[in-house]
Amino acid sequence: MSLNEAPKFVRADGPDKVTGSGRYTADMNMTGQLVAKFRYADVAHARVTKIDVSAAKATPGVLAVLTAADVPDLRYSPVVPDRTLFVKDVVRFEGEIVAAVAAVNAATAQAAVDSIVFEYDGLPVVTDLEAALADGSPIVHEGWESYGVSGDTVQRPNVASFSSIEKGDIRAGLAAADHVITSRYVADASHALPIEPRAVLAQWEGNKVTIWTSTQVPFDARNGVCETLQMPSSRVRIIVPHLGGGFGGKCGFHFEAHIAALARASKRPVKLVFSRREEFLAPDRRREGMIVDITTGVTNDGTITAREGWIAIDNGAYTADAAFFPQLAAMHVAGPYVSPNVFVESSLVYTNHQPSGSVRAPTAPQACWALESHTDEIARTIGMDPVDFRRKNTVDEGLEGPAAQVYGEIGLRRCLETAVANSAYGSQLPENEAVGVAVGWWPSFPGPSGAYIKVDADGSGQIITGAQECGTGSVMTLRYLAAEELGMEPEDFELVYQDTSAAPYDTGATGSQTLLNNGRAVIEGAREVAAQLRDVAADQLEAAAGDIVLADGFAHVSGSPDRNVSIVELAGIAAEGEMLIGKGSGTPPDYPTVSATCVGDQGVAGWAGPQFSCHAVRVRLDRDTGVVRVLEISAAHDSGTIINPIAAHGQVEGGITMGIGQALSEGTVYGDDAKQRNAGLLEYKLQTAADAPLVTTEFIEIPDPNAGPRGAKGLAEAPNVPTAAAIANAVAQLIGEPVRQLPMTPERVWAVSEGSSS
Amino acid sequence: MSESATPQNFDLEVNGISYPISADQGKNLLSVIREDVGLTGTKEGCDDCECGACMVLLDGQPVNSCSYLAVQAQGRTVTTIEGVMQGEEMHALQRNLLDEGGVQCGFCTPGMIMSAHALLDRNSNPTPEDVKIGLSGNLCRCTGYAKILAAVEKTAAE
Ligand code: FES
Ligand code: FES
Repeated sequence: MSLNEAPKFVRADGPDKVTGSGRYTADMNMTGQLVAKFRYADVAHARVTKIDVSAAKATPGVLAVLTAADVPDLRYSPVVPDRTLFVKDVVRFEGEIVAAVAAVNAATAQAAVDSIVFEYDGLPVVTDLEAALADGSPIVHEGWESYGVSGDTVQRPNVASFSSIEKGDIRAGLAAADHVITSRYVADASHALPIEPRAVLAQWEGNKVTIWTSTQVPFDARNGVCETLQMPSSRVRIIVPHLGGGFGGKCGFHFEAHIAALARASKRPVKLVFSRREEFLAPDRRREGMIVDITTGVTNDGTITAREGWIAIDNGAYTADAAFFPQLAAMHVAGPYVSPNVFVESSLVYTNHQPSGSVRAPTAPQACWALESHTDEIARTIGMDPVDFRRKNTVDEGLEGPAAQVYGEIGLRRCLETAVANSAYGSQLPENEAVGVAVGWWPSFPGPSGAYIKVDADGSGQIITGAQECGTGSVMTLRYLAAEELGMEPEDFELVYQDTSAAPYDTGATGSQTLLNNGRAVIEGAREVAAQLRDVAADQLEAAAGDIVLADGFAHVSGSPDRNVSIVELAGIAAEGEMLIGKGSGTPPDYPTVSATCVGDQGVAGWAGPQFSCHAVRVRLDRDTGVVRVLEISAAHDSGTIINPIAAHGQVEGGITMGIGQALSEGTVYGDDAKQRNAGLLEYKLQTAADAPLVTTEFIEIPDPNAGPRGAKGLAEAPNVPTAAAIANAVAQLIGEPVRQLPMTPERVWAVSEGSSS
Repeated sequence: MSESATPQNFDLEVNGISYPISADQGKNLLSVIREDVGLTGTKEGCDDCECGACMVLLDGQPVNSCSYLAVQAQGRTVTTIEGVMQGEEMHALQRNLLDEGGVQCGFCTPGMIMSAHALLDRNSNPTPEDVKIGLSGNLCRCTGYAKILAAVEKTAAE
C-alpha cells in the first residue's frame, strides 16, 4: 500500500506533543519533593576499601543517603543474576552507583555526593574480548559459578552466556567447497540515545509506592522494584508519563528502586533527572561491541556449502537482559541464507565496560554488517554479482534456515528485487559514488499481553492496556483495531496506558511486539464488548444476536440496514444494567521448533513471524578525507501486513537514520582504563536533518498466519538491521576492500583506502 | 551551599506575559522557564547546546535556552512552544507535523517547532535545503527527519 492511499493516522497523544502540554517524567513535580543524585564509582575495576557517607549525612538539607548496606543484600537480573543496586565489594564499571543522596536541592545533593569518601584498590581492567577469553585473564566476576543462572544457560570463565548452533557437518561442507573465504569484522559499542534523558519520581503513601518513570517496560520496572526491595507487586505502582523515546535504552529495570528507597528513607517524594553525561555512562543498555570471524565455503557456481562463525560479544560488567545475545548473534552471522552445514559459536564476554543490553535489534546491525560485507567479499572472490549471489542463496518458502527452521511464504527475495529495482544499482554513476546492497532479518516476539475494553454510557470507548507507547505509534494504532471490531471510530476511544495498577500485563515497548501481542488482546477484548452490544441490540431490534452487524456507529440487522439503533443509545441502555466491559489476552503465536543442535539455547533460534528486509544505499565518498555521505536509500521490508502505513514508514525512516549513524559516526571510544572517552553529544555524533538522505520504502505485505493481527509481524527494529551493511558494501566498492571496523569513520575509511591504493 | 546564593530579581516576558523572577544570576533561561515560570513544554536533552530540545525564540531569534543566562533575557520577549497556538487553533506547523507523521516520541517536537517557526519567519519560501539547514540544530532520534522536513515544507507552501 502506498502512503498516499493510507488512511490518515491520528495520534491520540499528538496534540499533547505539539503544544508542549504533554507531561514527560522530568516535567512532573510533587510538593515537598527532594532531588536525587548518585555517587558513581568513576573507576572501572576496583576492590572497595572504604565507603564513608557520614559527612554527606551531616550536610544540612540532606534527608537520605543510601549505600549497599541500606537495601536487601541480593543480586538480580533475568537469567544471569549478577547485579546489585549499589557497589558492594568490587566495582566492575565506571558508572556503578556507590551511594544515592536525596536533598532539598540539586546543589546540596551534589555537595553531599562530593563529600562521600570512597576508597579502593585498583584491579586490572578487562577490556579486550580475546584477552578476556584467554587462560589467566583477570576474572570480572570471581565466584560467577555460584550465581545460579536459569534455563539452559552455559557459562565459562568471563563468559556470561555461551551458545552455538550446529547443523550438518561443517568440516565436510568446507572440504566440498571450491573456495573458502574467511573474514574478521570488529564493531565498536554504541548508544540507544533517546533525546529524553531518563527521569524517575517516587512517592510513598503508607506502605505503597508510586513511581513515575521514563521506562519502556513498566511491568519489568515494577518487578525489579519488587525483587530488589522485596515487596509484593500490590504495593508498587509504575506510571509512565509520555516517554521521550527509548530504542531499547530504557528497557529493563534501572534506577526505580534507588529512588523508591530514597523516598522511603527521607519520607519525601524524590526525583531523579539524568544529565546527558549520566545517560551515556550509567544505564546497563548500550549496543554491544562485537568481534565476528566468519568463514564460508562456496562452489564455483556460487552455492554455499558451509558457514562457520565465531563471535565474541562485549557484555560489559553485568548481563542485564543480554543472555540471549549469543544465540541471536549466531543466527545473524549465519544469516538468512541456505547452507547445509552450519557451525557458529558465540560468547557473551564479561569486561569492565558499561553493561550491554537490548538496543533496537540487539546484535543484528553489527552481525549483519559483518555477514553482508563478507557476502560481498565472497561474490568478489568468485566473480559473481553480489545481488545474484543473494538471489541464489537466500532463504525462501520451503527452504531451511541455519537452525533448520523451514519457512512458509516469506518475502526476502521480493525485498531484494524491490529494493534493488528502486535504486541506481547497476546504472552508470560518478566515479566517487556506488550503490551497496544488504539483506537482513529479525524475529517477532510472541508473548502474553492483556487489555480491557469498556464502552461508557455516552458511547465513549476506553482501551485500558498494559502496552507502552515509545513513540512508534503502536499503542495509538490500538484504537483502530478496537474501532473496527465495534463499528466505532478510532477517535471515540480514550487510551488508558502506562500504569501497572490499571491494566493487565504486557511486555512493554520492547521486541517490536506491541501490535503483535497487545493488538491481539485488544481485538479479543473488543470482541467481548461487541458480543454484549449485539445482545442489547438484538433485544431492541427484536432480532437474533447473530444477525446484528456493528458498523458506522450503528447496530443493524444483517440485510436490513434500516432496522438499526445507534451504539450511543445501546451504550446508554447497557449502562443501566449489564455494562459493556470486555477483557482480552488471547493465545500468543507459537515459537517454531528447530532441529539444529543448539547449545546454550535461549529460545531465539526458532523465529515466529520472521521479518525480512533489503536496503540498497547510494553513497558518495570524498576520497581526500574519507567522508562518506549517504545520498539515497531504497528500502523494502516484509513485516507481514502493515496496519498503520504512516507509522510504519516513520519506523523505517527512523531506523535507517539510526543505522547511518551506526555505520559512519556512532561508536563509543574507550580509554585503557575502560572508561568512555566520548560521553557527550559533542564527541558522539548523531545524524542531523542536514544529513537526511532520500528514503524510498516499499512494504512486501505477506500476511503471516503465525503472527499478529491480520498477519502483521513486528517492524520497529528491522529497519535498523541492514543499513550499515549496505553502506559498507557501497564503500567497499569505492575503495576496493571493506572497512573492517564499525563505525566506518572518515579516518578508518581513509586508512583502508590509502592502504589498498598504495 | 545553596542554589540561590545571589538571587537576582527581574521581570521576564514569556509568551506575552510578564513574570517577576527571583533567581540565581547563573541560572539558565531553560531552568527559569521550566521551574520559575512553570512552563515545561521546553525540554532539556543535553544542557550542552547540542540537541535543540530547549529551543525558544528570543525577540524572534532561535536560541538554545540551556546555554543562555535568564537574566540576559530581561527586557526581551521570549516565545516558547506554549506560545505558538493561535488562540484555540493550532499553528500550521503543529497541524502539519501531526498530519505528516512528523511526531513520534515528541520530545524533540517543541524545539523543532520553534526552529521551524524562526526559519519560516525569516524565509517564507525556503528551499528543501534551507529547511534542512534550518533544522540541523535540532536532533531527532525517532523520525529520521523526513516527515518533519515534509511538514515544514508543506507549511511554507500553504
Ligand atoms: S538542552 Fe539545550 S541544546 Fe540540548
Ligand atoms: S520524535 Fe522522538 S526525538 Fe524526535
